[in-house]
Amino acid sequence: MAKLYLKFEQAVLKEITLTQGALTIGRLPDNSLQIDNLAVSGHHAKVYWDQDHYAVEDLGSLNGTYVNSQRIGKAALKDGDQVLIGKHLVQFKDEGLKTGPSQPAQKAGPATPVLESTVVLDTKQAQEMIAAKNVPAPAGNPLGIGKAAAVVPAKERIGILSILQGRTDQRQYVLTGKMTMIGKSDMASIRLKGFFAPKTAALISKRETKYFISSSEKKVTLKINGEEVTGQRELNEGDMIEVASLKAAFSYQD
Amino acid sequence: MTLAVEVAGKTDVGCVRSNNEDNFGYDSRCGIFVVCDGMGGQAAGEVASKIAVDVLLGYFRERGKSGEYRQVGESLEGLSPDAKALASAIQLANQTIYETGLKQESRSGMGSTIVAALIRGNALSIGNVGDSRIYLIRQDSIQQLTQDHSLVMEQVRRGYITREQAERSEIQNIILRALGSEEKVDADVEDLLVLPGDTLVLSSDGLTRHVRDEEILKIVASSANLQQGCAALIQTAKDQGGDDNITCLLLRVVERPWYKNIFSRWFSGGSQWQNSI
Repeated sequence: MAKLYLKFEQAVLKEITLTQGALTIGRLPDNSLQIDNLAVSGHHAKVYWDQDHYAVEDLGSLNGTYVNSQRIGKAALKDGDQVLIGKHLVQFKDEGLKTGPSQPAQKAGPATPVLESTVVLDTKQAQEMIAAKNVPAPAGNPLGIGKAAAVVPAKERIGILSILQGRTDQRQYVLTGKMTMIGKSDMASIRLKGFFAPKTAALISKRETKYFISSSEKKVTLKINGEEVTGQRELNEGDMIEVASLKAAFSYQD
Repeated sequence: MTLAVEVAGKTDVGCVRSNNEDNFGYDSRCGIFVVCDGMGGQAAGEVASKIAVDVLLGYFRERGKSGEYRQVGESLEGLSPDAKALASAIQLANQTIYETGLKQESRSGMGSTIVAALIRGNALSIGNVGDSRIYLIRQDSIQQLTQDHSLVMEQVRRGYITREQAERSEIQNIILRALGSEEKVDADVEDLLVLPGDTLVLSSDGLTRHVRDEEILKIVASSANLQQGCAALIQTAKDQGGDDNITCLLLRVVERPWYKNIFSRWFSGGSQWQNSI
């Protein structure tokens, strides 16, 4: 019986028994093996039974799939192969041949029931856990708090608003904040000038890597690509925003 | 037109415990809204969360009278005066709980989480320590504004486990920061903005461990008013296990002509404030 072990650093996070069907690996929830990390592509790779052996195939991922440190498009898997996906390692074990690897320590240590009252780790304890890698985690969970910067997320996409028309204090705004207001008010980071400019014209909010725009006053019309928007709308690359004598283009930073 | 905040709050002991260590309070007159979840045996958790709510409300009522605020702890750069005041109030709550714990041996080791929202017109400042949460519901979307200071969420952020694994984890009860556990606390404080029609949900983990984000959105959207929303959220958490204390505070930003604001301040319009329980 063949198995996959999903590992991060030393910790085994998951164990999967392979069947004849294809197993997909990726960041999105519709994968059979989801790795919720930005270094992993939405649909990163798949593992499947190819006539008489298991094989792994890259699904056009951004950061690539590596088998034993070799970047691959498609490769046959043999016992002990290490498949690197982003920062996670997937180990392939054909258990028919040898004894399996040490079992993930799921139940070692005193299990803490959910009902247990809340406990706080003080800074010292937390730092000790971070510093000492070998300290067993509570409830034997694959804690693996190792190096703080162990996970380097894939580059975050940052939105940019370029002002094409209208009086503002800058020509271009990099949208790093969670929320960016367009208007004359003091809170607005995209500051409109002029006596008749509305105090709050529109609000751009950033959610994870997406941006949404909402009109903030009923009497102010907000148009995206010439179309009037009421409520909230996601911003896409190249969208043209028109609000209160302001014309601006939205794009993502390279 | 000016912006006003409608509010409703509710707390429930849950299905298993005999005491309620959660607490909440608000004062719309100064725009402060707080939810706390206490911890520590022998009724100490209840004391800690109550102190936190009382200190926060007291701080902003005093500020409302004098117009100035007391700086507690280090001043944080790049924040609005409101957010700085919120950070100071949270430091003060931390100090008060910490010192009470030192003085009374039976209460040593007590602590509390806190989530607080300070709303002035469009400006929203939020503060967080621990694993209680603030959500923003805007039109048909829900967004968690705070980051949990829990061990499992830290593991998720570092990529060791997935969000789904975190939700099933047995160590969800371990938090990395709390009020009262150390002399100083590192609170997350942030400046944000609200629009008319926005709803904020402040809740203890008793709600969020059992009711998923999308369910919260659905329940709030389908409730006739905020009171019903609170009741429905708590009932859903209880139906799905509800082993911990459950608290939720719902705030809605509404646009009103200025004279209606004055009117509702003096007549009806629900209560303007509620102290800790």
